[in-house]
Amino acid sequence: MSTIDLTLQIWRQKNSDSLGNFETYTLNGISTDMSFLEMLDVLNEQLTKEGKEPVAFDHDCREGICGQCGSVVNGVAHGPEKEVTLCQLHMRNFKTGDKLVIEPFRSRAFPIKRDLLVDRSAFDRIIQSGGYVSVNTGGVPDGNTIPIPSQVAELAMDAAACIGCGACVASCPNGAAMLFTSAKVSQLALLPQGDSERKKRALAMVETMDKEGFGNCTNHKACEAVCPKAISIRNIARLNREYAKAIFTEG
Amino acid sequence: MWFINFLKSSIGKKYIMATSGLLLVLFLCTHVFGNGAIYISSKAFQGYADALHSLPMLVFIFSISLLVIILAHVCIGLILFWQNREVSKSRYAVEVDIVQEKNSIAAKTMPYSGLFILLFLLVHISGFTFGPEDVPVSEHVKELFSGFFYGVFYLAGFAALALHLSHGFWSMLQTFGVNHPRFNCLIGTLTYIVPLFFLIAFAGIPLYFMTGLGANY
Ligand code: HEM
Ligand code: FES
Repeated sequence: MSTIDLTLQIWRQKNSDSLGNFETYTLNGISTDMSFLEMLDVLNEQLTKEGKEPVAFDHDCREGICGQCGSVVNGVAHGPEKEVTLCQLHMRNFKTGDKLVIEPFRSRAFPIKRDLLVDRSAFDRIIQSGGYVSVNTGGVPDGNTIPIPSQVAELAMDAAACIGCGACVASCPNGAAMLFTSAKVSQLALLPQGDSERKKRALAMVETMDKEGFGNCTNHKACEAVCPKAISIRNIARLNREYAKAIFTEG
Repeated sequence: MWFINFLKSSIGKKYIMATSGLLLVLFLCTHVFGNGAIYISSKAFQGYADALHSLPMLVFIFSISLLVIILAHVCIGLILFWQNREVSKSRYAVEVDIVQEKNSIAAKTMPYSGLFILLFLLVHISGFTFGPEDVPVSEHVKELFSGFFYGVFYLAGFAALALHLSHGFWSMLQTFGVNHPRFNCLIGTLTYIVPLFFLIAFAGIPLYFMTGLGANY
């Protein structure tokens, strides 16, 4: 088992009203088999022993499916490895002597609550405004009772892979939430269960997205580049079509 | 009113940018073919200009429509630019280029390349549309481009246009919702070809005179 020694520069902020600043910590003997969050656990243990406040960060499943974790490591959301969440990023991606600058996801619509914790409830409000199906779909249907071409099912599944972590917003030069919203709109619009509400949904979710203070998309593709679930901007194109169809007929 | 809601929404503004951008590109297509007559001879060019101006109503309607389109494109573009600056004021201590594509520079500089095109347009229109009335336009072109700095300014303007379109063409289609694996390769190729075509065809004109190739024009 190999170990590495690191210098960490971490954003510390007491609460959403305080200013916040970077603190520097040294951390020695980190196993390269550890995940990034386990490395932060070790740091927090060390801080607690020294009688200091541990670093607050979000996490839950630690297996890359819940969308709770996420920070910006050396300028890249979820760190240097492609298509993984921060909890699934392993320390073997780093080497002794590396300096890691760890910052919270920053965006006007994501206020910082504490250290690396940000308030992503704006995403929840986008979902609440239309990211659901209100027709009664009954129990689990028998296989193949609702015929869905497998290509369409695949596209819907690709969109449904979005875990809502917010890396897209954090990386977008405009703080736009188009990748997230488009994935949620797509996943439902593609399937027959979501079809009856697709226009209402597109209008409502885009309206909430704009109201929550996200920026305007300029097709930079930074979202797609950092997305841990490789959500494609093809979904954004689909959202644009869905929105245009909806506003011209029901807007 | 649905159109007001459309204009207020982020996606609606993008549609206005894309639609006006498309119309401007279509206008450039007609403009480049008209100006292409310069490469044939001064007579051909003067003939084209005279034919065009024998239809004053057509010229008038086109000029007004173009003015509206450009105003929409510039105003909404600047609104988007200011709104986005508001959002992304505070950012990260470490800055890296996340998008490692060649044309990401074009994407970042859209408002600046756009504003330079606007400056170019002002100079261009005051030079030609409101130029001297007693000199035929085919001679006026030669006169203006015999000035070195005038020619260089035009070259810079066309370079800005090419830069603008090297992101804009693809971006326009993405905004319209045209993104499909079957066509993305073609769209990628066109996003090189379209700006390059305008760059060569337009920039060729000042170069034609500056290099002396057009001496017998
Ligand atoms: C003949 C001149 C022009 C042409 C052909 C043109 C074309 C285009 C096209 C096709 C787009 C892409 C639309 C989209 O992203 O959906 C675009 C975007 C843009 N244009 Fe222009 N444009 C021209 C002049 C200008 C001028 C004078 C400005 C002045 C500010 C400007 C500012 C912008 C901006 C800021 C964008 C980015 C909008 C965004 O990404 O949200 N353009 N242009
Ligand atoms: S903690 Fe669940 S995705 Fe990282």
